[in-house]
Amino acid sequence: MNLDERIHRYMDGLATAEEVQQLQNILLTQPEARRLFADLANLDAALAEQATGWESPVQGKSAKPQRTAIPHFWLAAAAALTLLITGTWWWQSNGAAHATVARGIGSSTFSQGMQIHNAAYEMEAGTVEFITARGAKVVIEAPASFQFENGQRLWLKRGRVAADVPPSAKGFTVITPTGQAVDLGTQFGVDVPQQGQAEIHVFKGEVIAQSFKGGKRQSLKDGQAYSLQSGAGAAREIRSAAFIQPDEMPALQAALTSGQRSRSDAAMAALRQDPTLIALLDFENSKLPPGTFRMTQGRWPGSRAPEFVNVGDHMKLDAGGDHTWPQLTLAAWVRLDRLEALYQSLYHTDGWDDDKRGQVHWIIKKDATMRLALKRNTLLPGSSEKDGFPDSATPVLPEKGRWVHVAVTYDAEAKLIRFYLNGRFDKECLQATAHPALLGPAQIGNWDSQDRKLSGRVDELILLGRTMTDDEIRALFDAGNPYL
Amino acid sequence: MSPAEIEQHQRFLRSLTAHEPAVRAYVRRLVPSRADADDVMQEVAIVLWEKFSEFRQGAEFRPWAFGIARFKVLSWLRDKGRDRLVLSEEVVDLIAEETALDETRLERQRRALETCTQKLEPDHKHLLMQAYQPQAQIQQVAATSGRSVTGFYQWLHRIRRLLADCVQRELAKEDAS
Repeated sequence: MNLDERIHRYMDGLATAEEVQQLQNILLTQPEARRLFADLANLDAALAEQATGWESPVQGKSAKPQRTAIPHFWLAAAAALTLLITGTWWWQSNGAAHATVARGIGSSTFSQGMQIHNAAYEMEAGTVEFITARGAKVVIEAPASFQFENGQRLWLKRGRVAADVPPSAKGFTVITPTGQAVDLGTQFGVDVPQQGQAEIHVFKGEVIAQSFKGGKRQSLKDGQAYSLQSGAGAAREIRSAAFIQPDEMPALQAALTSGQRSRSDAAMAALRQDPTLIALLDFENSKLPPGTFRMTQGRWPGSRAPEFVNVGDHMKLDAGGDHTWPQLTLAAWVRLDRLEALYQSLYHTDGWDDDKRGQVHWIIKKDATMRLALKRNTLLPGSSEKDGFPDSATPVLPEKGRWVHVAVTYDAEAKLIRFYLNGRFDKECLQATAHPALLGPAQIGNWDSQDRKLSGRVDELILLGRTMTDDEIRALFDAGNPYL
Repeated sequence: MSPAEIEQHQRFLRSLTAHEPAVRAYVRRLVPSRADADDVMQEVAIVLWEKFSEFRQGAEFRPWAFGIARFKVLSWLRDKGRDRLVLSEEVVDLIAEETALDETRLERQRRALETCTQKLEPDHKHLLMQAYQPQAQIQQVAATSGRSVTGFYQWLHRIRRLLADCVQRELAKEDAS
């Protein structure tokens, strides 16, 4: 049944409950459908108007007594004279913009102060913060297709949205192809990936989620997430790091405008000349390592980074397997969720076999500290390490999902492991036994033997066959830092 | 009634008479059937009169009336929505907001329709007008046309589609000239 037919059936009282429901979903999500609906209903009203004053040219055929609309009103108006006037209610005709651009980062389309009306936008790169007419802060990250239908409704075909909704904008709604999120005064995110289910993540407050196809309304509160799929939706793990929050925008914008990206590119170019470089993954060229992951925006507008979302997601890397490495530096930018997972893998060489002395596992643990484990390495007797492996001291995950820089150096001869967080030395650990590092087939974001999925994005992962100095790591962080 | 009250009453009726088709069409776009539109319209008229003293003279009557109509429709929906097949308040409110802003275009459509119904064959127009009589019984109208009820509705949908297309063409013509 086409839309036209559906509307006619509804207007003639012929539509079944199911048809009404279907029509409703179409109207809710498609502005053009509402326009057609309005046109046809308008036509219906105009026909009724004509018919009221119409007299059959054929005598006797018009059996019905003629009525005009006006007498109703005389009567009604006269009756109303005796009624009390109660309450106030006023009408606000609003030709104003639905939203205004507060900040555009790396987008050529959206400049600060730009007024957004009911137009569809495709955003290939960048991150933009909008303020709606009622004061909701809405950050949209590319790649995204969206349209503000009005100040309170955002239609998101793909992309990521983080919204911070004050009481004045309560009811702000994000509509996706498979369902919608209605805000009840809160902070929340909606992710509509290119492939896969749209998801709602509630950071604070309450949101009503509803799948369009037979979905019940589902109330979500702090820290809950939900997928909007056909039929009943399903609970998901919260992924706060998947969203760029409004309060993250100023620092991102400041870094970009200060030319931070070119500093980062220069630092990477220099590193590529380093004869000890084993691997440098910035994910910018079209040939990506194999694996199961999503590509999202990296630290810079239009740059790319893999994201690990579902159980089993991983990226394969086979590098540095031709010999062992007496010295090693591992470094990466990561944007991770604070999850209760036991281990999240940054870099795991395949297996964990006794004959593979020195094989490397670089992990984030449940308490959000980093671990560097080398097979058959041992701790010094009386070591302060609680869990039998060298671990960093400071948790590497900030309260909210943000980009952080993690690094670790290893020197087999000096038997020394040194951890760094955001360019700063964190802690070192001396080993009793220290084998040269053994690399080769490995996974980023997971382990081949058990699920150790990392939840979040990874950017600029570096394997270097020497130990970087404190200053070098500081410089690496400074050059690549997306915040200012 | 005092002379001032009479004056106000007349002013009200002049405004209402002028804008009634637009307000009625607006309500029609928000409720399922023409009969529903009639019901709601009566209540709207009462409220308009009740609140007319608050209406600022010189302001536009139509947006003000639309606002009140919208409010009435939503409370009507809340009453009827439970036992009737109606679109949700959310969708209706959305249409209310959008079509209020689109009234200029919709009014042109309604005017253009008169030209278009003139173009119908007399038999067809006759049948159509019969179907649109207040309180028309579709079964009866269908029977006089020699069609089944289902067949009649299909015919009605076809005619409305034709008229909608004609309206589009008329408006395009106006825009071009």
